[in-house]
Amino acid sequence: MAATTSPAPAGSTVQRPSSVDEAAGILRSSRGSVLFRGAGTKMSWAGRPKDPDLVIETGGLDQLLDHNPADMTASVQAGMPLRALQERLGEAGQMLALDPPTGPDGATLGGLLATGESGPRRLRYGALRDLVIGVTLVLADGTVAHAGGHVIKNVAGYDLSKLMYGSLGTLGLIAEVVLRLHPLPEASASVVVPASVQEATARSLDLLASTLEPCAVDWVGDPRGGGSPGRLAVRFEGTAAGVAAQTAALMERLDGSAPEVLTDDDETALWRQYTGAQRPEAGQSTAFAGTLPSQLTAVARALADGVDGADVDVSLASHSALGLHTARFSGPPAQQASAFDRWRRGVLAVGGTVLLRQRPAEVDATVDPLGPAPPAAGLLRAVKARLDPDGRCAPGRLAPWL
Amino acid sequence: MTTTYLDLVAERATGRVTDEVRREIGGLVGVGALISEPAELRTYECDGLTGFRVVPALVVLPMSTEEVAAVVRVCARERIPFVARGAGTGLSGGALPVADGIVIGLARMRQILSVDARNQRAVVQPGVTNLGISAAAAPHDLYFAPDPSSQVVCTIGGNVAENSGGAHCLKYGFTTNHVLGLTMVCTDGSVVSLGGDSLDQVGPDLRALVVGSEGTLGIVTEVTVRLLRKPEATRTLVADFPDPGHAGDAVSDIVSQGIIPAAVEMLDALAIEACEKATGAGYTVGSPAALVVELDGVGVEVDAEFDRVQRICHENQATGIRIAQDPAERALIWKGRKAAFAAMGRVSPDYFVQDGVIPRTKLGATLTRIGEMSRAAGLRVANVFHAGDGNLHPLVLYDGAVQGQAERAEELATAIVELCVAQGGSITGEHGVGSDKACSMPKMFTDSDLTVMALVRAAFDPKGVCNPGKVLPTPRLCGERPGPWRPHPLEQTGVIERF
Repeated sequence: MAATTSPAPAGSTVQRPSSVDEAAGILRSSRGSVLFRGAGTKMSWAGRPKDPDLVIETGGLDQLLDHNPADMTASVQAGMPLRALQERLGEAGQMLALDPPTGPDGATLGGLLATGESGPRRLRYGALRDLVIGVTLVLADGTVAHAGGHVIKNVAGYDLSKLMYGSLGTLGLIAEVVLRLHPLPEASASVVVPASVQEATARSLDLLASTLEPCAVDWVGDPRGGGSPGRLAVRFEGTAAGVAAQTAALMERLDGSAPEVLTDDDETALWRQYTGAQRPEAGQSTAFAGTLPSQLTAVARALADGVDGADVDVSLASHSALGLHTARFSGPPAQQASAFDRWRRGVLAVGGTVLLRQRPAEVDATVDPLGPAPPAAGLLRAVKARLDPDGRCAPGRLAPWL
Repeated sequence: MTTTYLDLVAERATGRVTDEVRREIGGLVGVGALISEPAELRTYECDGLTGFRVVPALVVLPMSTEEVAAVVRVCARERIPFVARGAGTGLSGGALPVADGIVIGLARMRQILSVDARNQRAVVQPGVTNLGISAAAAPHDLYFAPDPSSQVVCTIGGNVAENSGGAHCLKYGFTTNHVLGLTMVCTDGSVVSLGGDSLDQVGPDLRALVVGSEGTLGIVTEVTVRLLRKPEATRTLVADFPDPGHAGDAVSDIVSQGIIPAAVEMLDALAIEACEKATGAGYTVGSPAALVVELDGVGVEVDAEFDRVQRICHENQATGIRIAQDPAERALIWKGRKAAFAAMGRVSPDYFVQDGVIPRTKLGATLTRIGEMSRAAGLRVANVFHAGDGNLHPLVLYDGAVQGQAERAEELATAIVELCVAQGGSITGEHGVGSDKACSMPKMFTDSDLTVMALVRAAFDPKGVCNPGKVLPTPRLCGERPGPWRPHPLEQTGVIERF
C-alpha cells in the first residue's frame, strides 16, 4: 500500500490550534489563502488547491468532548481520528456507523465530513450527512458559529452541518461535530458469491426488493469480464439469530451459485480486501461515481470501453445496492487520464456524478477533476461569497466551479 | 465580525401587488389560477398555527415549474414578498402570508411523475400528499418513510420545507434522509436542480441545506424521494405504567439495550383520557402513563426484541401490556395515539402546544419538573410525545374565557420550551421555527450563529422576498405577541390530526 497521507505544502505557515478560540484567533489575525488539514488522507481529491499561505492542522483538536451513551450521541473535536473515536465508543458498546476506506489511515471526523467519504455499511446506516446532528464552524474571518445541536431530532435553524458535507474546506473550518451513534451489533456474517457485473446488478436489485436487510452489498471485479469476473459480498448485522436467519435465507436464494459464508477473521479479511480495492497504489488514480443502482452495468461498460491500449488497467469496486462506484486506473498517467475522461463522460451521460480523487499530478495536465459545472454552481458561488468573501478557504479545490 | 444578523435581515421587501401586477401574473398563469376576492383570500390567512393571521394581497395557484418561475420573476422584479404554501397544515406559521404579498399555493401541482420500483425512487410534484407517495409505491411493497401525523393531507413540498419527521423517525430518520433531489425555483426566478439520482453530489450538499429551510431559500417544484421496502414483520404493544417516570425509564432501558424501535410514544393520564374519549382505541383510562412501542424489521429479530421490550416494561413496573394481535388492532392503537391533539378539545376548551426536544435521558426529570411548573401555575399540562427521540409535545390546557388564563398558559408554554433548551435540547423537533418561534431562536443560538445563518439566507435571497419574517428573529416580528391556539378548520372537521 502506498503512503496515503500528504505532507503539508512547503512554503506555508503551519498552525496547530488546540482550541476553537485559538483557531478563530489565528484566522481573525491572518490574511491570505488557507488550507484546513486533518490527517491529510484526502488532500489530493478534487481540484488541487493552490499552495496556501497558511495551513491550519486540526491535530491539536482531537478530543472527545462528550459521550452520552444513554442518549447515543457524542461531540467530538474535528481533528479526532475516526479509529480513536471508535475505540472510545466501543468501550460502551457503541459505534459511529461509518466505515470509510481511509479510516484505518487515521482519517479525522472533520476531514470525513468535509469530503463526504462513506463506506459499505452506508446501505444500512446512511452517510456522515445522516449521522451528524450538530457542527461548530469557524469562518475565514474568525466568526465561530454553531448549528444543529445535541439532540437527534431538531429542526431549529439551517442545517449547516450538512452544508459542510462535501464542502472540501472551501466554506470554513469544521471545528467540532456532534454525532448520532449506534449500538455495536451483536453478530455479523457475510455471504460472498462469484458474480459478473450483470449478475451483481441483478442480485443487488433483488436484495433491495426483498425483505432481507443487509447492511452492505458490494461488488468488486473486472469491468471487462475476463477470467474471474468478480465477486458480490453481502453483509448482515444484528442479533445472532437474525444474522443466522438472514444468512440462511440468502444462501437458499443463491443455491447453485457457489456462495460461501464468512464470519470472524475471514469476514474482516474479506471487507479489508473490498476496501483495499478502492484505495490507489502508488502511481494509480481513483475516481468516485454515483448513479442509480440499476446502472452498475452501464458504469462498468463505460469503464471497459474507455480503456485505450494495453498499458492502462482498470478495476471497479461498487456499493452496488447504493449505486456508488470507485474506479481505479493504473498505467501511464496520460492514458489513465484519457480512460478516466471517457468513463466520466459515460457516467454523466446516464445522469450520474463523478469526482476525480487521488491521482498522479500528470493526470491533471489533460483532465479537469471536477468536470462540467452543475446548474447549482451559481448558488454555490453565492454561498461562498457570503461565508468567505475574500476567497481565502482552499482556493482551487472546487475550481472552476468556485 | 462586526455585522450582526440584524444587519443581514434584508430590508422588508415593499413591492405592492398593483392591478398591473395582477394582470401580468394572470397573463402568465391564467386568470383561473388567481384568487383575489377578499372572502377567498381569507382561506389562506393562516396555516395550522391559527393564532397568527395575515390576509395576503393575492394567491396564485400555478400548475408547473415554469409558471412558478414566471411568478417569482415578477415578484423579484417588483420586490413583492412571496410565501409558498402546500396544504397549510404546518404548526409554526411557516406558511403565514405577508401582508401585501403573494401566496404561491402548490396544491395544484400534484402529479406523481414517476415511480422507479427497481431503484426505489419516486419523482413527485410538491402538492402530492405524503400518504399519496406511499400509496403510489404500495403496489411494489415500497413506502415513503417520514410519516407526520397530518400525512393524509400534508404535502411533500411542505415536508421538504419543514424537514418533517413523524412517529417513526427514531429508526428511519427525517425527510432530509429520504430526499435525493430537488428542482427549485430560486428567488430570482431561475430554476436549478439540487441533488439527483446519485446519493452524493460533488461539492457542498445544497439539497440538504434547502430541506428544512422552511421555504426561505426558494420554492421546490419537484422532489425525488427514496422509497423503502416494507419490513417483513411489525409488532406493536401498549404498556401502562404507575407514573410517567417509570415509563421514561423503560424507554431509556429499551434504547440502552441496543434496541432501536420503529416508534416509541408516551401518553400521560390526561392524554389517555382525551384519546379514549375521542376514539375508544382501548387505552386504559386512569393509568398514569402509557407507552406505545412498535418494532419492525426481520421477523426473528423483531420477535426476540419484542420479548425483551416486554421484559423491560415489566422491570419498570408496567401494570399491564396489551399486544396488537393483527393489523386492525395496530391501526386502532395508532388512531388513538394520533387523535391526541384533536381530542384535547374533550378535556379543555383551549390549549397551547409546544414542540421542544430534550436528550432522552432527561425525560423522567423533565416530566417531573413540568408537573411542578403546572401545579405552580395552576394549569393542567397534558403530555403526549415521541419518547424515543425526546421530542415533547406538552399541551398547556386553559380556558380562554377566564380572564388572564391565556396569558398564564402562554407563559407556562414558553417556560417549558426554555426548560428544554436549558437541558441541551431544542426549541423545535419537527414543527419548525416559522413565525411562532423565530423570537425564541436567540435562546438556542448566539448572535454569531444567527449571523452565519443570515449570511446563508442572503446568498439565496439577497432581496429578502422569499418568506420574509420566518425562522430568523426580527425586531418587528418579535415586538408582536402571538394569539392563543385555535383549532385549524381541517382539524375541527376531522380531516387532519395533530401529532
